[in-house]
Amino acid sequence: MDPTLYVLTYASFAAAASALGPLPLVGQKSVPRTMIGWANALAAGAMLGAAYVLSEIALTGDALPAAIGAVVGIGFIYGTHRASDTMDLDLNRLSDTRPEYGYQVVLVNTLHSATEGVAIGIAMASNLGFGAFVAVAIAFHNVPEATILSAVLHSRGVRLRSAAGIAVVTNVSQILLAVVVHSVVTAAPGLAPGALGFAIGALTYLVMVELLPESYKEAGPTSIALVTSITMGVLVLANGVAG
Amino acid sequence: MNQLHPVVLVFLYGLVTALATGLGALPFLFVRTISPRVIAYANAIASGLMLGASFGLVSEGTRYGAWQTIVGANLGVVFILLTQRYLQRHDVEFGDAKDASARRMLLMIVVMTVHSFSEGVAVGASFGGGMTLAAVITIAIAVHNIPEGLAISAVMRPRGSSVAACAGWSIFSSLPQPVMAVPAFLFVEAVTPALPYGIGFAAGAMVFMVLVELLPEAFEAGQRQTVGLLVSLTVVGMVLFQTFL
Repeated sequence: MDPTLYVLTYASFAAAASALGPLPLVGQKSVPRTMIGWANALAAGAMLGAAYVLSEIALTGDALPAAIGAVVGIGFIYGTHRASDTMDLDLNRLSDTRPEYGYQVVLVNTLHSATEGVAIGIAMASNLGFGAFVAVAIAFHNVPEATILSAVLHSRGVRLRSAAGIAVVTNVSQILLAVVVHSVVTAAPGLAPGALGFAIGALTYLVMVELLPESYKEAGPTSIALVTSITMGVLVLANGVAG
Repeated sequence: MNQLHPVVLVFLYGLVTALATGLGALPFLFVRTISPRVIAYANAIASGLMLGASFGLVSEGTRYGAWQTIVGANLGVVFILLTQRYLQRHDVEFGDAKDASARRMLLMIVVMTVHSFSEGVAVGASFGGGMTLAAVITIAIAVHNIPEGLAISAVMRPRGSSVAACAGWSIFSSLPQPVMAVPAFLFVEAVTPALPYGIGFAAGAMVFMVLVELLPEAFEAGQRQTVGLLVSLTVVGMVLFQTFL
């Protein structure tokens, strides 16, 4: 398969996985807060694991441009949160019915997915097999993220079937960025270390500001730390065994 | 130095690396205000240092064996859980601190001390490869220990420990390095298979400590963007720092 089509296929698969997100909510009257917390922790563990496997690749190349890229990635997310006035946005509020909350949640989720698209794209550019691994990891993590998003949307009166659709749509940015970053870095390999760093920094920062703070309140530190670290471990192990 | 027996030399080199850990307390000579916010941000920096250090450890461990590293990491997680439970069931006092604060400080010292065991083994085993590189390895490990002392001090100093106590406990946490380096040096072939388990254990314990104790407290008292910036920038700095050693 042509590499670009390969990236497109895997990134689309990752985005489509988010359609599974609303499944745990089917037939539930109310969503337990601990479940939302664990969904966050699953996603956080997968993202930190992905940041780790990307940093292993980054360190085989130029470390300094990668570090600069990481600082830019962190600054980029900080800047987008600031510019969109979503710095302290709690993404898990099930009883906030303000109209602006709805669009803010969808916007932040879209930006979040876009960053993960960069991660898939740069991983694909380093090595297609490794890229497929990262895409599967992101696909897996898209499911709990979509569960949370659908719970929020459902509490606002959106039907679960539509919530599944919206969850997939927020992840379209992931497909787009994966394909663009892969093509650009393939055309200009000099950008690879910086792009790798960007993804690593942005993923880590997203975990710290969007996923972990709320999850601790929802499910308590012990279970959150367990779910996060075990998910990280599974990813590291899978990468170690495959690599 | 060349007249010394290699075993004494390995021990002395290990001791130098342990003493270097105490240097991590020095920046706290300049931090005078102690508020919940300072604790939060110091926690965030310690978290970044420990996450970054674990990244380095895991990447080293998986080179020996991915399965062994992960088994070790899970044991590290269980170890922290058990220690945490144990400390919760007992009234702990540490210096002037009590309960939650004292527990966190003790846990931090335990985590960092336990993690030094496997580092000591790594030092000793690498000396086994030949003494010519010993000085270089010693300097590298010594410099790498400074942020670990910084992480310990970042947890202890805002809770009222003196700078001297921070330095003392930092050095204490690294004492397993010289102690473990010697047997590891003498029995390289016997200890090498155990190395990935030990490295994984150290990494798992540190990651879990960050997730279960340091970050929740940081998010409680600090602004989430500031905590996020401090953690992620420190991770980047720590990973970069390790690659240049």
